[in-house]
Amino acid sequence: MARMKFLCDAERCIECNGCVTACKNEHEVPWGVNRRRVVTINDGVPGERSMSVACMHCSDAPCVAVCPTNVIYQTEEGIVLHDKDGCIGCGYCFYACPFGAPQFPNGPAAFGARGKMDKCTFCAGGPEENGSQAEFEKYGRNRIAEGKLPLCAEMCSTKALLAGDAAELSEIFRDRVLRRGKGVEAWGWMTAYGKEEAKK
Amino acid sequence: MSTVPRQRSGFALLLALVSWLFLLGSGAAMAQADPAAAQVERQQTQPLNNAPVWREVRSGEAHFTTVRGPETGVLIQTEGQVWRQWRNGPITFYGGILLLVVPTAIGLFYAVKGAVKLHGAPTGRRMQRFSTFERVVHWGTAVTFVVLGITGVCILFGKHFIAPVFGTAVLGGLLTAGKAVHNYIGPLFGVFTLLMIVAFLRDNVWQAIDSVWIRKAGGIASGEHVPSGRFNFGEKTWFWIGVTFLGLIVAGSGLVMDFPNFGQTRADMQLANIIHGVGAILLIALSLGHIYMGTIGVEGAYQSMKTGYVDEAWAKEHHEVWYDEVKAGRSGHP
Repeated sequence: MARMKFLCDAERCIECNGCVTACKNEHEVPWGVNRRRVVTINDGVPGERSMSVACMHCSDAPCVAVCPTNVIYQTEEGIVLHDKDGCIGCGYCFYACPFGAPQFPNGPAAFGARGKMDKCTFCAGGPEENGSQAEFEKYGRNRIAEGKLPLCAEMCSTKALLAGDAAELSEIFRDRVLRRGKGVEAWGWMTAYGKEEAKK
Repeated sequence: MSTVPRQRSGFALLLALVSWLFLLGSGAAMAQADPAAAQVERQQTQPLNNAPVWREVRSGEAHFTTVRGPETGVLIQTEGQVWRQWRNGPITFYGGILLLVVPTAIGLFYAVKGAVKLHGAPTGRRMQRFSTFERVVHWGTAVTFVVLGITGVCILFGKHFIAPVFGTAVLGGLLTAGKAVHNYIGPLFGVFTLLMIVAFLRDNVWQAIDSVWIRKAGGIASGEHVPSGRFNFGEKTWFWIGVTFLGLIVAGSGLVMDFPNFGQTRADMQLANIIHGVGAILLIALSLGHIYMGTIGVEGAYQSMKTGYVDEAWAKEHHEVWYDEVKAGRSGHP
């Protein structure tokens, strides 16, 4: 069984925001919600680095642990999905997530009326029937069910952002590090995958 | 299952919280070392070494991003894990135990000792104990408190006792309504709490007679009636620790989470959630004692808050000093 992960190579990301745009367009994500974003460190000075960040689909995911209605779950491939029908918009997943992945359509609204949480699905939809209209409206396209990988990584012009089975990602990344002799850190991996997989 | 927080030592969690709070305070100062300059220098001396960047990734500082939203410039915030450990660990575990033990203890006490009956025969003459304003404020606080308590308990513990029995769909439906009710009733509870403090502050100050009540432990064990003013020391304790201290803390921390639109960070709301949870569980535990005494625990107590009037025999037995003052026309209060 594959273990799906994201890997963003900070030596390659050029902050084109193509992944952000691809994601928004593919899933018709509403205004104000960005499932993926690019953050640049030391912008404009020598040694600046950019990193694309979205839900990392953590092992032992904090959002799953704190959800009061138990609607966030992890598939056998390690993809963290959620059932919007039972989401109450409490924002606890946003408190807990290290990566700021959970998003809310109403933003930080008064009386905590955030609306239902939205986040990266690894292009794997949600609990609705694969490829159904209901699934698309709530969670966006289900590319995994079509045998495709997440569009953000597929569209990445420098192949900085990789998505897929952890073993293959590691293979590609190790090869890159050996060839270029630098940039050994796969950012966020210790935070996201440093713990043992949660018991299912 | 190394990640089950319950199995971690309490000391480690305490240490984690202390260091977390320390980091919150000192984070700004540490960032003054100018990591951008460090990275520029590192690029010249060791072009292949990005250590300054990786330190910044984990710093929790905001960096540049085109995406607008709360804390979008932060790559990794590590406090979320600490919050999770506290909320899912000791607060859920020890809080849950407390909320099971207290009602059980009260039930046992009632089964063994029974209610505090009126010893003398009712005189039939009634005297006013609470004004209409006081009763409106009391019941306003009481109703909002009970609604908030039930919905709040479901938000923290529902996944442990509702979901296994009725399923997550029922829990989701209940909490969708419950969270909305909690968030809209919450500020109202805050208003009622303030009014409550104003209404009852005057008669909850220390009186010399309170030391007698403390010495005899309120006569709870002996069944003896200890003279007291309008409120005895037990009621005063509830007023100061329950209503005032915990009430204001719970209402204040709730508002921090209820109105995230004032730019609070996640760290602010995590801390507010911890304070809210601890405060609310203690308040609920104390309130169970108050509700018991005000309903089945003491004969006549419920009628006094329902109608505002008590029998003179009840007043003389339970609040003799107050009774004497009213009779002498010195009370100035119902």
